[in-house]
Amino acid sequence: MSAAGYARLGRAVVRRELTLFVRYPFEAVGAVVTLTALFGLLFFGGSMLAPRAMADSTAGLVVGYFLWVMAMGSYQDTAGDVMAEASWGTLERHYLTPFGFGTVLLAKSLAKLLVHFVYAGIVLAAMLLITGTTLEIDVLTVLPVAALTLASSFGVGFALGGVTVLYKNVTSWLEMVGFVMAGLIAVPAFGGGYLFALPLAQGSALLQRAMRDGVRLWEFDPVALAVLVVTGVGYLSVGYGVFYLCQRRARRLGVLGDY
Amino acid sequence: MTDYTLRVENLRKTFGEGEGTTTAVDDLSFAVEPGELVGLLGPNGAGKTTTIKSILGLVLPDAGTIDIGGVDAREHPRRAHAKTAATMEGARNQYWRLTVRENLAYFAAVAGEDVDDVRERHDHLLEAFSLTEHADDQVRTLSRGMKQKASLASVLARDAEVVFLDEPTLGLDVGSAVELRSQLRAVAEERDLTVLLSSHDMDTVEAVCERAVIIEDGEVVVDDTIDSLLAGFGTRGYRVTVRGAEAESLAALDDVDAVEALDGDTLCLDATADSDAFYRLVGRLEEMDARIEGVETREPDLETAFVDATGGA
Repeated sequence: MSAAGYARLGRAVVRRELTLFVRYPFEAVGAVVTLTALFGLLFFGGSMLAPRAMADSTAGLVVGYFLWVMAMGSYQDTAGDVMAEASWGTLERHYLTPFGFGTVLLAKSLAKLLVHFVYAGIVLAAMLLITGTTLEIDVLTVLPVAALTLASSFGVGFALGGVTVLYKNVTSWLEMVGFVMAGLIAVPAFGGGYLFALPLAQGSALLQRAMRDGVRLWEFDPVALAVLVVTGVGYLSVGYGVFYLCQRRARRLGVLGDY
Repeated sequence: MTDYTLRVENLRKTFGEGEGTTTAVDDLSFAVEPGELVGLLGPNGAGKTTTIKSILGLVLPDAGTIDIGGVDAREHPRRAHAKTAATMEGARNQYWRLTVRENLAYFAAVAGEDVDDVRERHDHLLEAFSLTEHADDQVRTLSRGMKQKASLASVLARDAEVVFLDEPTLGLDVGSAVELRSQLRAVAEERDLTVLLSSHDMDTVEAVCERAVIIEDGEVVVDDTIDSLLAGFGTRGYRVTVRGAEAESLAALDDVDAVEALDGDTLCLDATADSDAFYRLVGRLEEMDARIEGVETREPDLETAFVDATGGA
């Protein structure tokens, strides 16, 4: 398939997501309101219980929450999309393409993440207003660090997507992984050691420093950046591998399109 | 040498292991020529859907070769998928929250096509399936029959050589099914599509297809043209109305399938016979002093051929 073909695929999946986003604004508004309200509870609750600690860590909380919202989108949308497509009977149609099953699902997940970024951006603006905090947003630093950070949660999403292809409904696992993600984002706050090899942890640490302290990409320790690259690419590769094996087993068992 | 668009050889698929192994497709072979419309028939559990899914790679076969448009589909599935389009059972298979036209555009793009280049084809498809005035309606707002047509149109939205249709008229009322069959056949002929259609509905296969491959227990039991299958029946059905005879005596005659009492002393008998046997039957009725009031004949249909091939499975 030519590069133009991949571009057409990208346009089609993004157009579909944006069409649904515009056509069902109530869902989008609901997501923004819920996520902002949850942050408000955390912030005001923390401020009442431990005002000094909260004042010292507000910027970290804002960055961590923003990262959590994006990470939830990247893994939940991938796995949830497989579940939804199976129930609609459209999953098998995405296998029958010259791009390959994994490529189409990745394109769809990225398109969903793009829409999710709109929610997360609004929530971030609301958080900054609520807390009165300001953040350093150097695009050249934040974008690559965030992309590599989310690559690891995409890996988790692909692995769960593969499990979904086999077992169809993994809702309870999705919820549990959401809590685990929050824990992984908080790893830098508790020190780290080998914990930085876990998904999201290293990215969370670097993103905090970039957005809170204004550290630029070239000012990071090269070893820290290498860990970010290895964990991001590594988890994405492993997740894709799990997805590939699961879809192959699903086809061997004849359950790919089942729901 | 015959040119084939689809060739399946020695296809085999089993499910389960050990004593619980089920053979769904057993050494199945057939070929389809370019532009041919072939029906895949078989009783429940015969292996029709598994056969189609194995050809498409949605199910991994254990053995066999599959050639689609000169491409080894097991070796190069993505290249083979560039030549195929398929729909599996029923009306869903599309996004109900998108409009009909949006579905066509989306599934064409997922096949790698430039939506702007194929807009004319999509307009034509919408017209062919009488969907033009619903093109901008969300699929969820359409009737069942319209949804099924929209699904079929979205499958044909891409430029495929071979189209696989699994139960395309499932769940439709008689009127909608008749309309969909004729529209499908017209589009397939116009675009010179090669079609493999699986259906329980014999009328659909008879109306759309030129050839039928009947499978039973995962094996091909009949592979012939529809015309040849129907012509192969020397027998036809007769419905004879008679007066002045006893029902028991009529029921005992050779070739009589059933006897039904109408009003008064009028009886109606159903018989299946070739022409010689029918003349013998008429002779026996005259010997019994039964008066023949009328005779209706029933032509054999694909259902008769199917029952004959599968032993009424």
